[in-house]
This record gives sequence, structure tokens and C-alpha cells, in this order.
Amino acid sequence: MLRRAVALVSGAAFVLWAVATLTFFAIRLIPGDPAQAILGGPGSQASQEALDQVRREYGLDRPLIVQYLAMLGRLLTGDLGHSYALKVPVADLLSSQLGGTMLLAVMALVVAWMLALGLSLWSTGRSRFASIIGDGIELTAAALPHFWLAGVLIAVFSSGLDWLPPVSTGTPAGFVLPVVTLAVPLAGFLAQVMRESLLDAMQQPFVLSARARGESTTGIRLRHTIRHAALPAISLSGWALGWLLSGAVVVETIFAMPGLGRTLLQAVTLRDIPVVTGVVLLVALVYVFMTVLTDLASRIADPRLRQEGAR
Amino acid sequence: MSELELRQSTVEASAEHIAPRGRRWPRPGTILAGGFVAFLVVATLAPSVAWTQDPNAIAPALAFESPSFAHWFGTDESGRDVYSRVVAGTGTSLLIGVTATLIGLALGLVLGLLASFAGRVFDFAVNRVIEVLFAFPGLLLALLVIVVYGPGPVTATIAVGLSTAPGYARIIRGQFVSIRSSHYVEAARVLGRSPARILGRHILPNALVPLSVLATLGIGQAIVWASALSYLGLGAQPPAAEWGAMLAAGRTYLATAPWLTAFPGLMIVGTTIATTILGRALARRGQEGR
Amino acid sequence: MPAASVTSSSFGRRSLVLAVALVATLALAGCQAPESGASDEPVQGGTLVYASGDAEPVCLDPHVGGNYPQALLASQFLESLVSRDESGEIIPWLAESWTASDDGLVWDFTLREGVVFTDGTPLDAEAVKVNVEHLQDPATQSSTGYLALGKVAEVEVVDERQARFVLSSPDSALLESLSQPWTAIQSPAGIARGMEANCEAPVGTGPFVVEDWVKQDHVSLVRNDDYSSPPADAAHDGPAYLEAIEWRFVPDAASRHAALQGGQVDVIDNPQPDTVAAVEGDDAFTWINAPRPGAANRIELNSGQAPFDDVRVREAFIRAVEVDEGIEALYFGTASRSYSALSSVEPLAYSDPSRFETDLEAANSLLDAAGWTERDADGTRLKGGQRLTLRFPVSTNQSIPAEQSLFEQVQATAKAAGFDVVIELLDLSSWYGALFANEYEIVSAPYTKVGPDVLRILYHSDSITPAPSGYFANLSQLDDPEVDALLTEAAATSDATARAELYEAAQQRILGGFYLLPLYDQQNSFLLDSAVKGARALPTVSTPTFYDAWLAD
Repeated sequence: MLRRAVALVSGAAFVLWAVATLTFFAIRLIPGDPAQAILGGPGSQASQEALDQVRREYGLDRPLIVQYLAMLGRLLTGDLGHSYALKVPVADLLSSQLGGTMLLAVMALVVAWMLALGLSLWSTGRSRFASIIGDGIELTAAALPHFWLAGVLIAVFSSGLDWLPPVSTGTPAGFVLPVVTLAVPLAGFLAQVMRESLLDAMQQPFVLSARARGESTTGIRLRHTIRHAALPAISLSGWALGWLLSGAVVVETIFAMPGLGRTLLQAVTLRDIPVVTGVVLLVALVYVFMTVLTDLASRIADPRLRQEGAR
Repeated sequence: MSELELRQSTVEASAEHIAPRGRRWPRPGTILAGGFVAFLVVATLAPSVAWTQDPNAIAPALAFESPSFAHWFGTDESGRDVYSRVVAGTGTSLLIGVTATLIGLALGLVLGLLASFAGRVFDFAVNRVIEVLFAFPGLLLALLVIVVYGPGPVTATIAVGLSTAPGYARIIRGQFVSIRSSHYVEAARVLGRSPARILGRHILPNALVPLSVLATLGIGQAIVWASALSYLGLGAQPPAAEWGAMLAAGRTYLATAPWLTAFPGLMIVGTTIATTILGRALARRGQEGR
Repeated sequence: MPAASVTSSSFGRRSLVLAVALVATLALAGCQAPESGASDEPVQGGTLVYASGDAEPVCLDPHVGGNYPQALLASQFLESLVSRDESGEIIPWLAESWTASDDGLVWDFTLREGVVFTDGTPLDAEAVKVNVEHLQDPATQSSTGYLALGKVAEVEVVDERQARFVLSSPDSALLESLSQPWTAIQSPAGIARGMEANCEAPVGTGPFVVEDWVKQDHVSLVRNDDYSSPPADAAHDGPAYLEAIEWRFVPDAASRHAALQGGQVDVIDNPQPDTVAAVEGDDAFTWINAPRPGAANRIELNSGQAPFDDVRVREAFIRAVEVDEGIEALYFGTASRSYSALSSVEPLAYSDPSRFETDLEAANSLLDAAGWTERDADGTRLKGGQRLTLRFPVSTNQSIPAEQSLFEQVQATAKAAGFDVVIELLDLSSWYGALFANEYEIVSAPYTKVGPDVLRILYHSDSITPAPSGYFANLSQLDDPEVDALLTEAAATSDATARAELYEAAQQRILGGFYLLPLYDQQNSFLLDSAVKGARALPTVSTPTFYDAWLAD
């Protein structure tokens, strides 16, 4: 178990280091002058002396490798630098935006899970008709672009029925449409995986023997197969969270919610490099954390893995 | 992209040894899907056969007409025929979908091959690389590529392709590993066949068929992600009638002219479903051939 | 030179001013101002929720950079030395009167008495001096305000209430420049806190105070209970009626409109033309249409390089392009076609429809004459193997969807004459990048400034020379000594009639050279829940003010 923990931590450290390095060098490829981005970005009337001043101040006149090492040094102390555009520490900016996005993503993940579980339990192992319908719903859901789904939901539930607010209001009601927008396409994916595993599970000896004992179909589904179906879906949750953060860029823009997605979009538009780097690192950190969590969750869901130990 | 990742089980099931066998009639759903794909192929290769008028001809006086006999899918904000634009956009949309998928697959293949056949050190390194790439959510990776290379359809395609690569790499590696340890490869090894011959004659063919399944599954998703970039103003350029771009542009008029988004949206969903069904049919044939 | 213009206002005329302002408000309210509005008793208190579709500013201090989103917000908590009324006349605000010397080089402003910044600092001549220095300090990174005060050499403190502006050369646009939010007066103590703090919450004399700014979400503004300095055309005295304003950033137009309909917000800006048309005649909403001053929305033709260095090719493009029907269809009657380089709110705008008549035949013969005689398979004209390609970078941050669609129609109609217009949808940074690299033949860029002096910024050859950052404003790269001379002289002329004549001559010459295709005024409008009474747009840069606003039950 200790070996496993060491492996996890060192793996996580490696991922973070690699992500920071990749982002640093990728961003150096950006055409344009970071000094100008600092001086009010595009359209500003920056003078030569102001540009020189900023280059000195931010160390942009030093060799690339020195800048890289300096960045790593800062990161080790937890310093993400200052936003070029907003002039505030990146860490402050991101910590104020992280909560909203994580809440949104986690709620969407939970809702997607429930939708997927319900749909796959309903459609699996019944008539061919039910399975075709279930399959169609899942494929359609998975092919819905967020921005279009959001528009339809707003048109129906806000403008049409006036049940839910179209922009976030800080109340639970304001969360409903964004969460549903994010959850539905994801549920389509998860349901597909779950159904494959459920079908698989239905043919397992333990299901056959339960059936032979005279257990009802529903009972079998609930008692024996859910656990089996949940396994691949759990292991996908880390990936799903990253996927949800992608969706958050669009959803936060449409529903006017503060969060990492909108922050990232603004930073990209303004070439605010420290903020882009900060968001990338933060997301990598969340991913690493989720990987560890799903690893643990899989062990709980599947006793076999507990015995196997480190693979 | 993720669709593929999730279908790992299907693919692994079909990764068993394939040998040619007698044909069976396809299912009705497969025929329907095949018909749809045939239409897409016609619309791609000879769009002027399928469209009813010039997709870029404007007629501001005829803007926002709802679907009718003259305009099957209605007209858009510039009075252009939406049906003709949907047809004209098939090529571009599929090109984005297919190219992005191919980029993802090619990269995934390289990574997967390296991981499986170049020794433990490579396996470890590639696994780490895949994990790092996974740590960038798809759209974030796409935005990063766009920050570096500027927005546009080519960048969007590359970005989507790159963001799907880690998913493919993971699946492909898994496949190679299972094929490598399969009975027929063992048998070939025992018979003293050279590694190159084993790779060329046994492993690659058995891996490539499931890969084609993966590819069909990925196309729709790539189009959806490219459309998200269009919505953010970073995708295809006008007047190109690309489904994602049409969807993004029509969203402005969702309440007053829903047909602007409904039809391109249906095409994306239809393409995803049709390619998925065909992909499964392929996988089934692979399994049946066991 | 005639005697210097002397303006002063007695605040005893308030009742008349009030009546005028109310009429103006109703006129602005346009389609459906409630008839009972004028007699209703304003209600105290309440929070108004404003949803802005403009980009969220990165700094709330409009001295830093200086764009329109900053001006929108700054109009709620900062005030300028002067303002402008409906007729385009400059009126007192923080300065109650001013005089200029005969040579136009020395301007004395007398400040209003008893005005205090919301941090307790009194408004005095020293504060004015500090503000001008702040704007002119390169470290402030000011662009708009810096340009506007380019001719101010220094500010001298005559006494506590007398600030003297010493100019390097006469500037007929000084008062107009000083009326803008980008040159608003802030507390010297606030400025002294440094850029980070001042960007978060600038301190002014306005009717509201910045309380809190939650990034990517909203800015909270609360009432300034000690407020005493409304502009001369305001409808009442003393503090604002509203207790607070919640200024939200809602980038998606459809969500913004749905939020107004659902009652989550009271006011939205940048409404989509189709939604404005949809609520027309609906008593539940009020539409305030307030086109921005300065330049009209127009397509600039880059005359600095081939093919538009040839006037015949420029004219051919303008003759080939058809936009009238498109504007009608895309804007649903909310925008009218412009034939002027200047906004229709500018009294000195010169309009000439005859120069912009569409004539495909004329376009074709002009292109033939210019040597673009061959055509390739696409129908694009060729000259010496070179295609007649026009690169058209479009900023998705600045052009709303309807405008992007209009550009696609420009593309389609220009094709008939053999132009291959390549539209490139770009984010703001890439868009500026394309301009800096001179990789464009046509471009559309907004420029908001009070008064006709905007012509000097946009069409004087000095504005072709880029700053080290690459920025330049003369995007048509118009380089005509005669235009330069006219604009320079107009900017130095204080005689109103002579100034108007000079600006007309300059505009005639600019339009005559086919350097630009005017489209419509810079669209700027607001949809209000009709429970919001007394809101209006300031006649300076058309930003809304909620000082006189109140919420009816």
C-alpha cells in the first residue's frame, strides 16, 4: 500500500511538472510580445520605454532557460505570478473562480451518473424495442452540442414556461439549467458504457444462478449488476471531469456564471499567459486528484482489485 | 472523442483474431445508416447534384422564411437556402470530423505502438505522456493550440484531433497488449516467425479493423467539438457552410427561427448515429468471423 | 480671432433644465414611454440589475487603456469636468464655468463648490492637475484619454477652484474631449493607491460607489449618499433614488434577453435587433436607442497597398457592394443606413448618399479600366496573374452576429464584380495582429469619441505611423496632405462657423476618395423593463446613467 502511495504521489508530481513545462514552452511559441500584452494588450499605445521597462520588470529580457527555471522556482513556492490583464495575483483570481466551477462540474457528474444509470437499467435486457430506444436516446444525447442544448433549454424553461432563470442567480434554481446542460450529453456517454457492462454482467454465471434461485429480474439488476456496471463508469469519472470543465467554458458563458471556464476564455482572448498557465495547472491538479479518487473508488466497487494490489 | 474511449469494451471484444467468412444480410438499422452515409458521400463528392440552389446566393428580402416547399429547411438571415447550405456543408463538416479523427488516430497509433513494442521504458514514458495529455481537458487543449497558432478551421481541426489522441492511444495500447499475448501471436512466435512478420501479418491487421470502428465513432464527436469552437468564434470561416458554424450562427435566432439550428443539428446527430451503427456492424462482423 | 467662447450656467435654472431633461428622456425612450411617466412620483430605494453584453473590463479605471465597456461602468461612479446636452452643446458638470484666451492656448476652468470625492478628498484644482498628469503618465497605459488630451501641455493650479489648462496648440475639441468618461476626474488619493487598487475600485464624485467586483460575474455599486454634483441636464438634485446597482456581465445575447423577460434583470445592453423588434409595441419593455458619437460604423478600404491604392478599384468596390436590403433584414428596422463618416448624433456630420449608389456595371467598367480584366474559374478578377483578393479580418468581440452576417452579404455582392472577399473571424488579439501586420484590405473598426475631432484620429496621416505597440487608428491609411491640412486647421479653429466649414470640406474629400463605406451609426441601445423610470443615455458617449432612475412597483 505504501509503495502504491509513493507511486501515486510521484506520478502526480511528474504530471504537474510536465504540464507546467509543456505550457511554458507552448506559450513561448505564441506570436506577439508578452510585454505588449502586459501593457494593456491589443490596441494600446504603449511606448518603447514602457515596453522596455516591462521587459525588465518581468524578466522577459533574460534567457529562456533562466525564465523557465525561475517559473519552476515560483511554482514550487505556490506562486502562480500576476495576471497581465487584471494585475492581480493569479492564485487569488483562480481560487475565487474554482469553487463555482467545481460545484457545477460535480453536480453535473452526479446528475449524469443518475440519468445514465436509470436509462441503462431501464433499457438493458428488456425487449429489443426498449434497447433500440435507449440506444437512440443515448446517441442523440451524446451528440448534442452544449451551446445548442443550453439555448433550447432557455427557450423552453425560461422564455417559454418561465420556470427557471436563464442566468445564474446564486439560488439553487439558477443551477438547474447549467447542470442539466452539462449532464445530458455526458449521461449519453456513460449510459452507453454502462449498458455494455450490464449486458456483459447479465450473462455472468452469478446472474444465471441468482435467476435459478428465483430472484426477480429487478432484484438481480439492483443487487448484482449495478456494481458491475458502475466499474467502467467510475474509472471514467476522472476523464469525465475534464470533459465537464471543457463544457464549462461554454456553459458558464451562456448562463453568465463566474468560473474557471470563463476566466480561461477571457485569458485566451487577451493572451493573459500567467492566467492560462494557472488554469492549466489547476485543471491538471484536479485531474490528478480525481485519478487517485477513482482508483480508490474502483477498489471499493470491485473487491478483486483489492487483492490484486498494484498492477 | 470520448465516445471512443468509452467503447473500449466493444472494441476489445472485437480485437480477437479475424478470418474471412461467409456474408450475412445486414440489419435494417444498418441499411438505414448505410443509406444516410451514402447521402453524405454524394453530398460530399457532388454537392451540386443534391442542392436545390446556390448555397451562398444571398437574398436579404427572403430572410428568415420558415421551411416550405420552395425552401425545404427554410432560409437563413441572409435569405440563403438552409437545405442547400446543409448539403454544401457536408464536405467541410465531414472533412473536419474525419481529419480530426485521423490526426487523433495517427498520433494514438504512434504512441500505442511505442508503448507496446519498444520496451518497458518506453511503455512507462508513453503512459506518462498519455496521462499528461489527459490532464488537459479537450477544449482547453484546443484553446491552447488556438492561442499558439491563431483561430481558424485548420487550427480547430488540429486542436480537436490532438485532444482526442490520448484517448485513442490508451485504447490502442490496450489492444496491442492483448493481441501480443494472444494465442495466435504466441503460436507464430513458437513457429519462429520474425518479429516484423508477426507485426505485419498478425498484429496490425487485427488491430486495424477495430481501429476503423473507432474512427467511425469519433467523427460525429469531432464535429460537435469543432462546433463548440465555432460558437466561441474560433472555428470555420464564412461563407463556408459548415454544420457547426451554421449551428453557432443560428443560435442567435433560436427563438425566432429555430429551423436555422434544427437542421444542421439533426445532421450532426444523424451522422453520429449512422457512423456508430455502421461501426458496430463492422465490429459484429469481426466478432462473427471468429 | 473672435472673442473666446464663454459659457456659464446658473444652477437656478434647474426647473427649466429639469423639464427639458424629462422631455429628452421621454423622447429617448422612443417607442413606448408611458404617458404617466412625467407626473409619477419617483420611488426611493431598490436595487437595479443591469446585464451587460460588453466585455468585462480588466480594469475599472477608464484612464487605463480606455474602452467602451470601461466607459459604461465609469459613467455610474465617475464624473467629468463638462458634459454635453441633447443638442450637442457643452454644458457644465464638475466645472461650473470656463473661459479660453483669445489665442485658444489657455483655458481656465472654475470648479463647482463643495464637491467631495467618495473617499472624503475635496475636489480642487490640484485634483484636476493630478488627473491630467495621471492620464499623460506612460505608466498609466492610457490610450483613449491620452490621445484626447494630446495637446494639453500642463495644468496649473491658479487657486483652489481655478484650474488652468495650458495647451501646446489650439484645440477646438478640448471641451468635447473633457466630456468623455475616459478623462473623468478621480480622487488623487485614490490614484495614489497604485494601479492594482485603483483598477479594482476607482474613487470618483459620482452618484454611485464601487463596493465590490466579483470577476466574471458582477460589480456591486451602492448609492453615494453625499452626492451633490449632477450634470446641468439632470432631472433632480441630491443623491440618486436607487439604493444600489448590480452590474452583471452576461455575454450571451439570448440569455441576456431571456433574463430581462424573466425579470431576473431590469436593463440589458446590446440587445439583438430581432429581439428589439419582437418587443416593439409591448408595454412591458422600453427601448432606448442611443447611437454612439464619433465615427459611424463603416468598412475602411486600405489605400496603403494594392489593390486599393488605386482609387478606381476603391470606387468599384463601393459601387459593387449592396448593403441596404441586408441592413433592413438583419436589423429589423432598428438601424438606418449611413452615408457619412460621422455618427448621425454629430451636428457636423456631412452625409452624401450620391457617392454610395450601387451600380454593378460601373463597378465592372472601373475594374476593367484599372487593368483587372481577366477572370478565373471562380469569377474572381485577375491582373498580371494576381487575384483580386480582399482580406477582411472581423473581430468577433466587436461585431455582433447581425453585423457578421452583413459582412457575408458584402462578400456575396462584391463577388459579382469579381472581388474575392476572404472573411477571417478572429478574436481581438489576432484581429489586432492582422491589422498590425498590414494583412488586410478591408476592415471595420469602431471608434467612439465626442465631436468631429474623431476625423483627425481616423484620417490624418499622422495616425498611420504605428506606436511601438503597433497600434494605429488610420486604418484606411488615408494619406492626403489636403485632408491633413483641413483637419489640422479645423482642430485649431474656435470660430464655430469656420470650424463647421472646414470639417465639411474634409469630409467631402474623404468620402470623395472612396476610402470608406459607411454602414450605420455605431449601434448602442438598451432594453429596459418598463418598471425602470427616468433612465437615460448621457449625450456624451451614449453610456447610460441611472442617477435619475427609479423602480416603479
